Amino acid sequence: MKFGGTSVATLPRWHNIRELVASRRAEGARVLVVVSALTGITDALKKLCGEGDQGKRKAAAGAIAQRHHDLLGHMRLPLPATLGARLDELAALAAEGPARLGELAWAALVQAHGELMSSALGAAFLSHTGLATQWLDARDCLAAVALPNQNERTKLLSAMVEAKPDPVLNARLAAQGEVFITQGFIARESEGRTVLLGRGGSDTSASYFGALLKAQRVEIWTDVAGMFTANPRQVPGARLLQKLDYEEAQEIASTGAKVLHPRCLSPLREPRVPLLVKDTNRPELEGTVIGPQVREHAPSVKAISARKGITLVSMESVGMWQQVGFLADVFAHFKQHGLSVDLIGSAETNVTVSLDPTENLLDSDAIAALAGDLAKVCRVKVIAPCAAITLVGRGMRSMLHTLSSVLAEFDQLRVHLISQSSNNLNLTFVVDEDVVDDLLPHLHDLLIAAGALRTDDNVLFGPSWQQLYGSGEAVVSQAWWREPAQRSRLLAIAAEATPRYVYHLPTVRQQARALKSLTAVDRLHYAVKANTHPAILRVLAAEGFAFECVSPGELEVVSAAVPADVPLLFTPNFASRADFERGLATRATITLDALHPVEHWGELFRGREVVLRVDLGRGLGHHEKVRTGGSGSKFGLPVEQLDAFLRHADAHGVVVRGLHAHLGSGVLDAKHWGEVYSQLASLAERIGSIAFLNIGGGLGVPSHPGEAQLDIAALDKVLREVKAAYPHYRLWMEPGRYLVADGGVLLARVTQTKGKGSWRYLGVDTGMNSLIRPALYDAWHEIANLTRLDEDATGLFQVVGPICESGDVLGSDRRLPEPQEGDVVLIAQTGAYGKVMSSLYNLRGETEEVVIDA
Amino acid sequence: MTTSTDPRLTQVFRFLHARYADGVAELAYAFDDGEPMVERIRFPHAPALPVERKAAFEAALKLLHLVAGVSYYKAGVPPKIDVADGPLDDATADLLDALYLHGLAEFAYRNGLDLRGRISFPRFSPAPLRGTRGGAMNGAGFEERGERRDEGAASPHAPSLALPRRTLVPIGGGKDSLVAVEAIKSVGGEATAVWVGSSALIAACAERTGLPTLNLQRELAPALFELNQRGAWNGHIPVTAVNSAILVAAAILYGFDSIAFANERSASAATLEYDGQLVNHQWSKGYAFEQLLGEWLHTHVAADLDYCSLLRPYSELAITRAFARLTPYFDAFSSCNRNFRILGPKPADRWCGQCPKCHFVFLALAPFLPKPRLLTIFGRNLLDDESQAAGFDALLEYQDHKPFECVGEGAEARAAMYALSQRPEWQEDALVVRFRDEILPQLDVAQLALEPWLEPSAEHRVPARLQAALKAIA
Repeated sequence: MKFGGTSVATLPRWHNIRELVASRRAEGARVLVVVSALTGITDALKKLCGEGDQGKRKAAAGAIAQRHHDLLGHMRLPLPATLGARLDELAALAAEGPARLGELAWAALVQAHGELMSSALGAAFLSHTGLATQWLDARDCLAAVALPNQNERTKLLSAMVEAKPDPVLNARLAAQGEVFITQGFIARESEGRTVLLGRGGSDTSASYFGALLKAQRVEIWTDVAGMFTANPRQVPGARLLQKLDYEEAQEIASTGAKVLHPRCLSPLREPRVPLLVKDTNRPELEGTVIGPQVREHAPSVKAISARKGITLVSMESVGMWQQVGFLADVFAHFKQHGLSVDLIGSAETNVTVSLDPTENLLDSDAIAALAGDLAKVCRVKVIAPCAAITLVGRGMRSMLHTLSSVLAEFDQLRVHLISQSSNNLNLTFVVDEDVVDDLLPHLHDLLIAAGALRTDDNVLFGPSWQQLYGSGEAVVSQAWWREPAQRSRLLAIAAEATPRYVYHLPTVRQQARALKSLTAVDRLHYAVKANTHPAILRVLAAEGFAFECVSPGELEVVSAAVPADVPLLFTPNFASRADFERGLATRATITLDALHPVEHWGELFRGREVVLRVDLGRGLGHHEKVRTGGSGSKFGLPVEQLDAFLRHADAHGVVVRGLHAHLGSGVLDAKHWGEVYSQLASLAERIGSIAFLNIGGGLGVPSHPGEAQLDIAALDKVLREVKAAYPHYRLWMEPGRYLVADGGVLLARVTQTKGKGSWRYLGVDTGMNSLIRPALYDAWHEIANLTRLDEDATGLFQVVGPICESGDVLGSDRRLPEPQEGDVVLIAQTGAYGKVMSSLYNLRGETEEVVIDA
Repeated sequence: MTTSTDPRLTQVFRFLHARYADGVAELAYAFDDGEPMVERIRFPHAPALPVERKAAFEAALKLLHLVAGVSYYKAGVPPKIDVADGPLDDATADLLDALYLHGLAEFAYRNGLDLRGRISFPRFSPAPLRGTRGGAMNGAGFEERGERRDEGAASPHAPSLALPRRTLVPIGGGKDSLVAVEAIKSVGGEATAVWVGSSALIAACAERTGLPTLNLQRELAPALFELNQRGAWNGHIPVTAVNSAILVAAAILYGFDSIAFANERSASAATLEYDGQLVNHQWSKGYAFEQLLGEWLHTHVAADLDYCSLLRPYSELAITRAFARLTPYFDAFSSCNRNFRILGPKPADRWCGQCPKCHFVFLALAPFLPKPRLLTIFGRNLLDDESQAAGFDALLEYQDHKPFECVGEGAEARAAMYALSQRPEWQEDALVVRFRDEILPQLDVAQLALEPWLEPSAEHRVPARLQAALKAIA
């Protein structure tokens, strides 16, 4: 059992360790505990080693000793002799300095004291609490081996041990007792000097001991329940990996997961000792078991990870083509400059390699010197900062066909290198580093949606990190249409006619009230383009919403439906002069998003107060076609034209009263609005006349089961933070889909099924003519057989409509019960951009709308 | 509300009064006969003012009142300036006339105004007699103190106050002030990191310095915001001058004998010339203002209060070279003017990557840092991004003028770019290739050496006590 620095730093955590050890003893196991140094001690020792002044070294050693005395004080233990001897030795080493032992050997011995002290302290505590524990010097058990590529530094500070099962040691320990405590991180080399095992050394020590003793298992106790399908800090929806084989686990560990050091798995592979990762604070959680590959699973991607700070070196030359030894010469330069190559991609005239972010790379002139040498034989380009995104899973090549939607995501990015090794465990893409934070959660979702990451297999995949550790329970509210009363009502509505949209007004009100809880927002507008049904407009007007329209037609419909004192906002794009004339004739506040209107039709706006929509130069959103920022988008005034706009405005007596930006749709990360808000505010400060900022909408509506909802409280917090910095601007928003998507469903009826090879098509009586979002945006809408809601979903279907277009697919690969002709199929979350985007294509008639209010 | 009419139509800008009590300075202004606009400066944990410093503090407060007024004056730019407690001596009026004219030059250029002949602070004229103004100049706020003012135009010296030998170092969150801090630390000087306003970035950088900190607050009069809404003139003001005046008051109040800014040589260079007038975006960071204010302090506040810039002899490139050694600040600092108030842990939270400051700092650091390290600071490679070409062109003064931002001289930027174009690890990046192909052939390579930029000039006003720190930067 191995415990890390935070687990051994306080008395309560030692009680915890004692309980866990006792529980293993109760199972009849003999226990060897491997501990790290107390949190912060290794760093303090390292700092001590770098200190040239003897007085300061002594003071540092004194402070380190005091940490241990303090903990002993909490434990109400006298100073045990073993610990006393260590403290004395450390004080002596600090006083003496490196001269006698040599810099590196002295440093190794000083740093080894962190573990020597913590284990001595632990032995005293465990024995004192009635669990007789033998202190074992790890250096007597772990012998470092000399390796050909080692220099003095690596020999002493990142040593290797060849750990083969050792029955003699096993017998020796068996004779001594049942519970042992020893040190992680340290070993002894052939000359008898103390050496360190380098980064991740304590986990590696535990593995070495596991192999030496051919243990029943090695348990790594840490602060998280195990390895996850992605870094939970980047992807809160990452799932716990409950079972992995050694190779997969090693691949995941070496491509980003911090929970285990990759080195600690190989010693266990040959003796087939399983390794278990467990959470010290939550021992009831399953954890991750890493062992030999036991049984076949359907191939699944196990994890996605990202490593940042990657530097690529691209070498281009025709000289390499069919040249014997070219690559050998090139790689010799990397070796000479101390740079270790990780990934390699090659073409006939180009070789591109990746370098990990080592200190040598970052803080020396190594890369400049390397480029200088390489430039003599080829054209060299240093590309950075990059990130390597890696998919890990056994049998990766056989999964490529499932990855098409995932791979499509790379279409918009600069992919510098793709690598797939012959061990068939990974697939790596090297991209620009700055895209990774947004990309990773998205790819994780796509992998699940594509069926490449088979989270439906609950043997392999445990709960999500969000579920285990997330703040507050993620309340998965049940869709309104699943309630039995609503369901039978919908079936009745469908019995009259299909296809039909049904809008549930209480759900619209509920969403409206959720947004009204955003205390930072001074005015909420409903972006009516999502759904212009008068009943919905009236509900939102009653909830106190203002309205945002993008055309004279919308202005008319809204004006007819809502009271005359409700504020209106007219935010057209590429609107004609006539459009503006009609907009100006209403009470609406006008938003301009280009230079042309104020430059050429300035007199139209004389004396008016307007809002200016700017393009902050970047776009966000769930699909290219809904991103509304960045040069590739037709919306907004580029910031560099701001001065020109203001000059024209001033010349015509037009006052810019509001600033507006809108980045895109389907955004689920609260901090994006904080960014838009603060960028707009800093722009506003340059303008002076600004009174309010409109940060748009685009609030995401998650569609997949289990996908995290937009956290309204988190959004409010972000907005309030910005507001505190810019209290003088009122804040406006204009959500659309968030308000109405969930309230609407599309009802259709099954017409027939068709089999084609292994594919099964389920035909319904409407398609892209009623709902174009799946075809236009690849939008995912939940599809349910409302007639058979309680039956097992056994079949896998492509749900299609009757339109003569191959893109007329409402949903792909849907698990549904076996259907019958006439079954009612419900397509969920179609209250937004459903009916309003429907068409008469194929002349299948208008899709009716029905409103229910209870 | 100062007046219900258009601020641009006002006739007189009035300096009403300046008061100080309990750590708060209150500065009042008005347009015409409108309501007072009251600004407040907060000095946290302000000690009681020693009696021997009262006269000096009053003079500092007066200066602060006059200097901070620029934020309000510019809203209307009326033809007449009125100071309620009477006209100024020549030295003071000269300082203020220069500050308002040159400090608002960019504002004037952008708004199509000509301030020449319009800015004239009231002064005793033609040659005031000694002893005539004590009563006239006193008024609001402090007790009578005629004796100092009597010294008037005859360029006297203010008394020495035996101020503690410690330095106020303003921190801006960017590289320059950190270089100054580390220079003072390296020679064992006693210093306090000071800043005006609330900025998480600056607070983080100040904390990283390990120095004692002092955070002053400036609260603009709310009425100014209302004026803006009613169509006030708006634009750049010489904010460094306002901050300097705040720090002068702080130095007397808390007891510091020096204020060491981190303004570099290129701050003195004009951004452009317009209608015969030089327009310098950072005039109040320039040497002319430093001299004017520094001399004025010696004659009007305290003979032993020094105002200087520790980086004055150095070019931006010399400073970025010095900063390149200060690794511990790399993940905390930012010179970017966008995203300035709200911060996150990622490079993109500190560096927008689009503005002239980002462009310049990236380019100026590049010759002095390993490329991978530089790219981790910014989180991206701005020189391998075609869409940034126009931004870098402006820095190089290629087909454009220098941006209105505190950035180095065009020749400096060209020297840095040329250095990169000769380095194998940079020369294939998109904008470096563009430089080599398009711009370099039009330049004289002899003018592009980096080394001359690293030589300090002799021009500076650093007092003897801090000269060792000055040398530590080179």
